[in-house]
Amino acid sequence: MELLDKITELKTKILEEINNAKSSQELKNVTDTFLSKKSAFNGLMSNIKDLVGDAKIAFGQAMNKARNELNEALKAKQESLREEEIAKKLASESIDITLPASNEQMGGINPFHLITDEIIDIFVSMGYEVKEGPDVETDYFNFERMNIPSNHPAREMQDSFYITNTTLLRTHTSPAQAHVMDEKKGQPVKIICPGKCYRRDDDDVTHSHQFGQVEGLVVDKNISLANLKATLELFLRRMFGEKREVRFRGSYFPFTEPSVEVDISCMNCHGKGCPTCKGTGYIEILGAGMVHPHVLEMSGYDPKEYSGFAFGVGIERVAMLRYGIDDIRRIYQGDTRFLKQFNRK
Amino acid sequence: MKVSLNLVKKYIDLDGLTPEVIADRLTFAGVEVESISHLASGSKLVVGEVLTCENMPDSDHLHLTTVNAGPKYGVLHIVCGAPNVRKGLKVIVAVDGCVLPGGTIKSGSIRGHVSEGMLCSLLELGVDAKYLNEEQTKGIEELKVGNPGDENVLELLGLDDVILDLKLLANRSDLYSVKNVAKELETLFDRKAHFDTYEEVKGDKNEIEVNSLTPNCPQFSLMVVKGIKVKESPDWMKEALRSSGIRSINNIVDIGNYVMLLTGQPLHMYDLDKLPKKELIVRDDLEGDFVALDEKTYKLQKGDITITSDSKVMCLGGVMGSLECAIDENTKNVAVEAANFNFASIRRTSTRLALVSDSSQRFVKGINPNQYNEVMSLTLALLKDLCEAKENSSVNTYLKEEYKPLTLSSSCTYINKRLGTSFDHSLIKETLEKAFIKVTELDNDKFTALIPDNRIDINSEADLSEEVIRILGFDKIVSTLPEIKLSVGGLDPNVNNKRIVRSYLRGIGLDEQLTYTLVDEKEAQDLSFFKVEEPYKVMNPLTDEREYVRTNVLPSLMNALIYNINHGNNNVSFFEVSDIFSEGGVKHIRLGVVLYGNKLRRGKLVSEPYSFYDLKGIVEGLLNLYSIDNKRVLIERSTNKDLHPGKSALVKVDNKPLAVFGELHPFALERYSLKEPAYVLEMDLDVLFSIKTGQKKMSELSKFPPVNHDLALVVKKGITSEEIIKEIYKVNRELIKNVEVFDVYEGSHMKEGYYSLALSLTYSSFEKTLVAEEVSSLEESIIKALESKFGIELRK
Repeated sequence: MELLDKITELKTKILEEINNAKSSQELKNVTDTFLSKKSAFNGLMSNIKDLVGDAKIAFGQAMNKARNELNEALKAKQESLREEEIAKKLASESIDITLPASNEQMGGINPFHLITDEIIDIFVSMGYEVKEGPDVETDYFNFERMNIPSNHPAREMQDSFYITNTTLLRTHTSPAQAHVMDEKKGQPVKIICPGKCYRRDDDDVTHSHQFGQVEGLVVDKNISLANLKATLELFLRRMFGEKREVRFRGSYFPFTEPSVEVDISCMNCHGKGCPTCKGTGYIEILGAGMVHPHVLEMSGYDPKEYSGFAFGVGIERVAMLRYGIDDIRRIYQGDTRFLKQFNRK
Repeated sequence: MKVSLNLVKKYIDLDGLTPEVIADRLTFAGVEVESISHLASGSKLVVGEVLTCENMPDSDHLHLTTVNAGPKYGVLHIVCGAPNVRKGLKVIVAVDGCVLPGGTIKSGSIRGHVSEGMLCSLLELGVDAKYLNEEQTKGIEELKVGNPGDENVLELLGLDDVILDLKLLANRSDLYSVKNVAKELETLFDRKAHFDTYEEVKGDKNEIEVNSLTPNCPQFSLMVVKGIKVKESPDWMKEALRSSGIRSINNIVDIGNYVMLLTGQPLHMYDLDKLPKKELIVRDDLEGDFVALDEKTYKLQKGDITITSDSKVMCLGGVMGSLECAIDENTKNVAVEAANFNFASIRRTSTRLALVSDSSQRFVKGINPNQYNEVMSLTLALLKDLCEAKENSSVNTYLKEEYKPLTLSSSCTYINKRLGTSFDHSLIKETLEKAFIKVTELDNDKFTALIPDNRIDINSEADLSEEVIRILGFDKIVSTLPEIKLSVGGLDPNVNNKRIVRSYLRGIGLDEQLTYTLVDEKEAQDLSFFKVEEPYKVMNPLTDEREYVRTNVLPSLMNALIYNINHGNNNVSFFEVSDIFSEGGVKHIRLGVVLYGNKLRRGKLVSEPYSFYDLKGIVEGLLNLYSIDNKRVLIERSTNKDLHPGKSALVKVDNKPLAVFGELHPFALERYSLKEPAYVLEMDLDVLFSIKTGQKKMSELSKFPPVNHDLALVVKKGITSEEIIKEIYKVNRELIKNVEVFDVYEGSHMKEGYYSLALSLTYSSFEKTLVAEEVSSLEESIIKALESKFGIELRK
C-alpha cells in the first residue's frame, strides 16, 4: 500500500535527520520541521479520513508505531546530546588539581611543648596530678628544702641566677615538690611538675641557661626503689618504645637516697653500641631516687611511716634524642621552618 | 680525680681485672669513671743503641743512623731528624708496624734512603708536654735504663700506667684519696687491700704553740721537722705524681702533694725559721691585705680562716700559704700542718677570691676528721726518706672536742622495705661489712652500724640502704608497680586552660614559640600593654642580654620575628603562652601573638596582608571558646603609645581589660628595625581563665523558615557598624535573629563624609511563618529607628 510506504519513507528520513543532529538546537529544528502539528509527518494523518475498515486500522497503527519510534529516537538523541554537552562543559571547566590548596594546617609546635604534653599525658593516664611551681623561687625552697643547706658542696653543681640573696631563678623543678607536700599536709602525693629552670651556663650546642624539666614525686606508705623502677619502665617504654631496657646506676643527689641515674637501651642500635650511645648501648635519660628522709621530714611527713620516690626528666634532652635535634639553641630561636616540622604526630 | 692504677696496685692486687671492668663496676656503684686513659702507648717499641750517625747529604737536619735493636730485630737503618741523635745513645725504637697515638710506623724510604722505623720522643708516645723538660720536647728520649732489645719500654720508663678519671659527686669526697679508692675496690671486688703502717710520731716537745680561736677550725695539728735538704724527688715519686696529673717541683712540695693524694688530707708546710713568733694561731676575725705564695695580694674579710703568728697571717687556711713563710730551696726546718676546716668557710673564701686549689677542693667537700696522726706518721717517714730529715718534734694538736665515730641503728626490714627487695638478713649485714661498716647484731633483724671515719657521707639509715644496693648491684631490683589508693589525677586548672588556648591557636594555624625568660633592660618592660610590677633583676647575669626577668612575652616574640625575617621567613604568625613573674612574687599568665607579612591562604597564589581584623578574630575566637556572651564584651580604641591609634583596640570583659592588640606604631616598628607593619596582641589569660560562665543550655531552633533581607545604608563616617547593629536589634529582639555586614563601601559614588554599609538581616519567628506585611513593617521600623537615632538613610 502506497500510504504505508510513505510513512516508512518519511519515518526513515526523519530518523536520519534526528541522528544527524549535532546539538540540542539542531534537534529542536528537526522536531519543529518534522514533528510539529503542521509538519509533513502529521500531515499524513489527514489521509485517514479517506480510509475505511482494515485499511484505516492498518494506517492508524502504522502511524502510531512510527510516531512512537520517532519519539523514542528523539528522546534517546536528546539524552545523548545532553550528556555530550555536559561532558564538554565539564571538560572545559577542568582545573589543575596540583595547584596549592587552601591552607588549613595546624600551626607548628615547639618540640619542647610536644614532649612536655606527651609526658603529662602519660602520667595523667596513670592517675598523677599535674602541678606547676613558680620560676622565681626562694633559696629556702630551691635549696634548703631539697636538703642543700647554704654552702653545701652540692650547690656548686648548680650555679644559679640570683635576684636577691634569698631569691633566685629555680635551678630545678624539685622545689615544686616541697610546695605540693606543704599543700597536701601529710596526705599521699602523686604528682608531676613540668616547668622551666635556669642555671648560669653559657649557651652552646648542648648547654642552655634555660631548660625544662618534669619532676615526678610519689609519697605514700610502703613506696620503694622497686616501685620507682617499675614506674619509670612504664613511662620510658611508652615514650621510647616497648623494647627499651631500663637500668639504674648509682649516683648522688642531695634530696634522694639512694640516688640513681637512669639509662635506657639505645633506640638507634638496641643496645649493640653506636655513635648515638657512644658505643655503650645505653643512653642516660634521667635522674631519680628515693626521697631523702630529711626532705620528707621538712615537709611534714614522718619518714618512719612514709617513703617516696622522685625523678626529674630533662625535656630538651628527650626532645633532642627523639627528633635528632643537633643544637639545643634551635628550641629557643623560634625559626618557623623548625617549628612547622613538628605540627604532626 | 685522676687515679693511677699503678699507684692503686701498691695497695690491692688487680690481676685479671682490665681497666674497663674496674671502670664499669665503679660507675654502676655510683663512682662514675669519666675516662680511661693511658699515660703513654705504643706497641712494638724496643730499646736500641745508635751504632753510627751521619748527616744526610742534601739535608740540613736529617741523620742517617744504624741502630742495634737487639737480637730479634737486628741492626736497623733509620732516618732521624732529632738534633740530639748521636752515636752511642740509648734510644726508644718504634719498629715496622708499631702503633703510636699519632699513627702506625712503617718501613719506607725518606729521600731515597731506607728507614726501617722511628726513634721516638716521649711526646710521640703520648706523654703530655707539661711533664717533660725542654730537651725532652725538642729531641728524642735519651734512655738511662734498659738494654738493646728490651721490649718493655713503657714499663722501664714508668709509663705503663692507666689513669681512671673519676667524676666525683659531692658525696664521695673520701675518694680524693688513692688509699680510699683501693678500699672501694676491695669493697666492690672482694679483694683484700693492704696498707703500710708507719711508726707513730715521737719526739721532743713541740716548740710551736698551737691554738684555734674559731669554731670553724675544729682540729689543728703541727709537727716540727729539722735538718731537711730540698732537692729533686726520686723517679718513683715523680712518676706517681705525673700519673695523677701533678707536676713534680721538689722533694718537700712533692711530699705534701703525695700525702694528700694518698690520704686525702691536705698539708701545709711553713719555713720554721721565717715564723715571726713560736706560735700558730687559727683565727677568722682579721681584715686587710694578704700576700700569698703566688705573690699576689688578696683582701681578707672577717670570716676568712687565717693561720697567724704574732698576729700576722702566715696562711689563708686550707686555701693558700703566705709568701712570707714559704718554703724555698734554702729551707732547713719546717712546720708541717694537718688541720680540718669548716667546708662552708673555705667555700666562701675560695669562691670570693677565685682561689681554687687541690687542697681547698678537698676541704670544701669534707675530709676524714680522724686521720691526722696517721698522716703525720706517713709525712715524717717520707721526710726522713727523701729529705734526710734529722730530727722532729711530737705532734702538737688543738682539738675542739674529742672525735666520736658515728653509730647508726637500723634493721634489715627497713632496708628491704626501702629498696623493695627481699635480701637475706645475713647478706645485708655481710654487704655492709664489705663497706667497712662494723655491724653489731641486736637481733636477727635489728643492728647497729659503726661508720668508718672516711665515710662522712653516711649519716642516716637511708644511706645504709644505698650502700647495700650499690654494692650488690641495682640490677638486683625487681620492678614492682606501687600499690596506691586510687585518687583523681589530672591537670591543674591553669595547666589545663593553657593547653586549651594553645591547641586552639595551633588549630587556626599559628606556630607555637618558646623564648627565653631572661631579657635585656630594654625588653624587660617594652611593649607592655598591661600594667605590670617592676621586673626582677638578676644580680649575677652572664651577659647584659640576659639580665632581667621579662614582664611580657611580646619583646621576645619580636626578636623571634627578626630572627625569622633574617632567615628569609617573611610571612609568619606565631604565639607564646607563658607564666610571667615580677617583683613581689606576682605571677601572670600571658599570651603574645605576632602576625607579619601575608596570610598565605593558598600559598602565594592567594594571599592577603595580615590586618587588625586577624587579631580581632583571634580574640573573638577565644571569647567564643570560653562561651563568653557578647553582651559582656566591650571593644574600644587603645590609647597605647606603641600602637597605631587608628588600628588598635582594647577588649574588656565585664569591664576588666582582657586584650590589647593592633598594628605597631611606626616608632615601635623603627625600634625593631621593621619595614612592614607588624600586628601584635597581648592577652591577660588570668582574666580569660577566671571569667565565670553559667551552665550551657541548648537553645530552641525555630520550625518555621527564616526570611532574609538586605539593607544598604548611607552612614555618616564615625558611626560604627556595631552601634547600628545594636540599634537594629533593639527594634524587635524576638524576630530579628541575625544582622551581618556584607559590604562596606567608601568612594567616589558616596557624598563627602559618608560611607555605604550593606547589611544582611534574618527574621524568624517561633510561632509562624512570617508574611510579607510583617517583614515590610519590621523594615520600616528599622529604617525609622536608624533615621531618628543616626540620621541614616537608605542607599538609592
